Amino acid sequence: MAGIELQNVRKDFGTLSVIKGVDLEIHPGEFVVFVGPSGCGKSTLLRMVAGLETVTSGTIRIGDRIVNDVSPKERGVAMVFQNYALYPHMTVADNIGFSLKLSRVPKAEIKKRVEETARVLRIVELLPKKPGQLSGGQKQRVAMGRAMIRNPKVFLFDEPLSNLDAQLRIQMRSEIALLHRRVGATVIYVTHDQVEAMTLADRIVVLHAGHIEQVGAPLDVYRNPQTQFVASFIGTPPMNFVPAQRFPAASLPTKWNGSLKTVGFRAEKTAIGKSDGLVPIGNGRVRLVEPLGLRALVHVELGDQELVTEIDTLDAPSPDSEVPLGVAPADLFYFDQSGRSLGAPL
Amino acid sequence: MRRIDWLPWLLLSPTVLLLAIFVVYPALYSIYLSTQNVDPFTHRTIFVGWENYLELAESAEYWKSLKVSLLFTLYTVIPSIVVSLAVALALNAKPYINGFFRTLFLMPVAVSSAMAAMLWIFLYNPTAGFLNYVLSTAGVVGPNWLADPTWSLVAVAIATVWKELGFNVIFFLAGLASVPPELNEAARIDGANAWQRFWRVTLPMLSPTVFFVGVVSVIHSFESFGQIHILTRGGPAGATNVLVYSLYRDAFENFRSGFASAQAVILFAIILAATFVQFRIGQKRVHYA
Repeated sequence: MAGIELQNVRKDFGTLSVIKGVDLEIHPGEFVVFVGPSGCGKSTLLRMVAGLETVTSGTIRIGDRIVNDVSPKERGVAMVFQNYALYPHMTVADNIGFSLKLSRVPKAEIKKRVEETARVLRIVELLPKKPGQLSGGQKQRVAMGRAMIRNPKVFLFDEPLSNLDAQLRIQMRSEIALLHRRVGATVIYVTHDQVEAMTLADRIVVLHAGHIEQVGAPLDVYRNPQTQFVASFIGTPPMNFVPAQRFPAASLPTKWNGSLKTVGFRAEKTAIGKSDGLVPIGNGRVRLVEPLGLRALVHVELGDQELVTEIDTLDAPSPDSEVPLGVAPADLFYFDQSGRSLGAPL
Repeated sequence: MRRIDWLPWLLLSPTVLLLAIFVVYPALYSIYLSTQNVDPFTHRTIFVGWENYLELAESAEYWKSLKVSLLFTLYTVIPSIVVSLAVALALNAKPYINGFFRTLFLMPVAVSSAMAAMLWIFLYNPTAGFLNYVLSTAGVVGPNWLADPTWSLVAVAIATVWKELGFNVIFFLAGLASVPPELNEAARIDGANAWQRFWRVTLPMLSPTVFFVGVVSVIHSFESFGQIHILTRGGPAGATNVLVYSLYRDAFENFRSGFASAQAVILFAIILAATFVQFRIGQKRVHYA
């Protein structure tokens, strides 16, 4: 178990700046998820921690040691790749035991540890097979076994579940959580799937265009997004945003004077109907109703915007009908010109 | 009754016709000829059965040719695979120089073997040649490469490897491009150094390419003719008289078509056997992803 510290870490590819100064401290044993849209630099940052990419400037520490110029093998990290990166010419047992073989562990010991690891992951019967004979979920377990067997101080996961089908993804997600609880190592987990981020993380790091937008516990980030980007990225469906001038002036707080530009509200907090407690947003036309089961997503066209509400399926209006939308004042988020949160109105 | 669809036959016919005229018929005809004695002037043939083959079996010269051919294969195939793989690895590591150097290495392949051989005649010239000049700057008196029986086969082999190099480099580059980069990254994280990554990951992944290049190179080496014809004409003292060259001399200098045909049949059998053995070995060692 080891902590990780990033100080003003930058990465340039030629003239292109991919990581633009990241500061982050990860505590020993913590499960941290890097989340962000593709191209935000989350994988690059992970690969820099792994030692697969050089650091342009800044320092990366693992434990007490600055590892900028330390080879991946010396860093004591293990990594699970998105496409598993299993060695196709080796059996599952050889794949899992490869790192031990390289460090000249005696054969009998390798065999014992490979079998132990396989038992934990319930893949003992796969040991003599080659990766080409395995299903996606099985490959995923082998890749995890290969990482686990070295008892690394740090686990790095690079979008490990994105090649699996939806059901398997949910199952493997909970297994990764159990695995973390069991081995207790520090984990950095990269994903673009915010559900994975929310469910797995002790803390999530929302990345956007090479810098950190917000770091915090999942629910804290969900409840108090510090920027409009975080608000739109965390939470499904994305938060609705409406220009402040659309609202009746009396219904908005006045303390920020002119700096209030955008008002946001989550779909699940957007009500259809009018009542005294609700700030009215306006009347819109229902374009689409997507029933999810108990709840339904209702897409409403309001002026040139499309807003989404999530309500009980039984209450869903019929398409093309006109409906009034409203939100409770406590459920509004306020953002300035640059997309920064203005905080609570009181 | 089903109607026969003639279109596929029509489209295939030019290829079938060309193969039949220039490959199948000559091949079958040479098998026939190998059992005949052919009069060089009247082209009359007399059936002699196994006699041509028996004469070959008793010919010390022919056994020497076989030995020369095997040595030539040894001298060309292994260096050619090792060097072209090394070149491909170097080019693969530095993609921005790849295009230029790839062209450079491929150029000898595009040059006709006669032109290439002329070039090497100049290089190998014992007194005015560049090779011995370079050796002399290191204080070494170079041999008379093409006229010295101990060096001539090596000299021809070097020229051959040089000429074929680019061809193999292209195949190895294509093979390397199909090795997923994450495999090497995973191996780095697993603690493999560059050498271990090459032996345990890259080379096994390249094994189909190595196998293919190996088979093709062996066949090429047994069929090498142009450079030998120009550089040494099989000499000195038969030191470079490979099977094909011996065959050529018997057919077109000694005008013994039947005897030469028997050699062609044997050469065919040798290449077939060599390829068969390579496939048997390959089955165990080659990993197809």
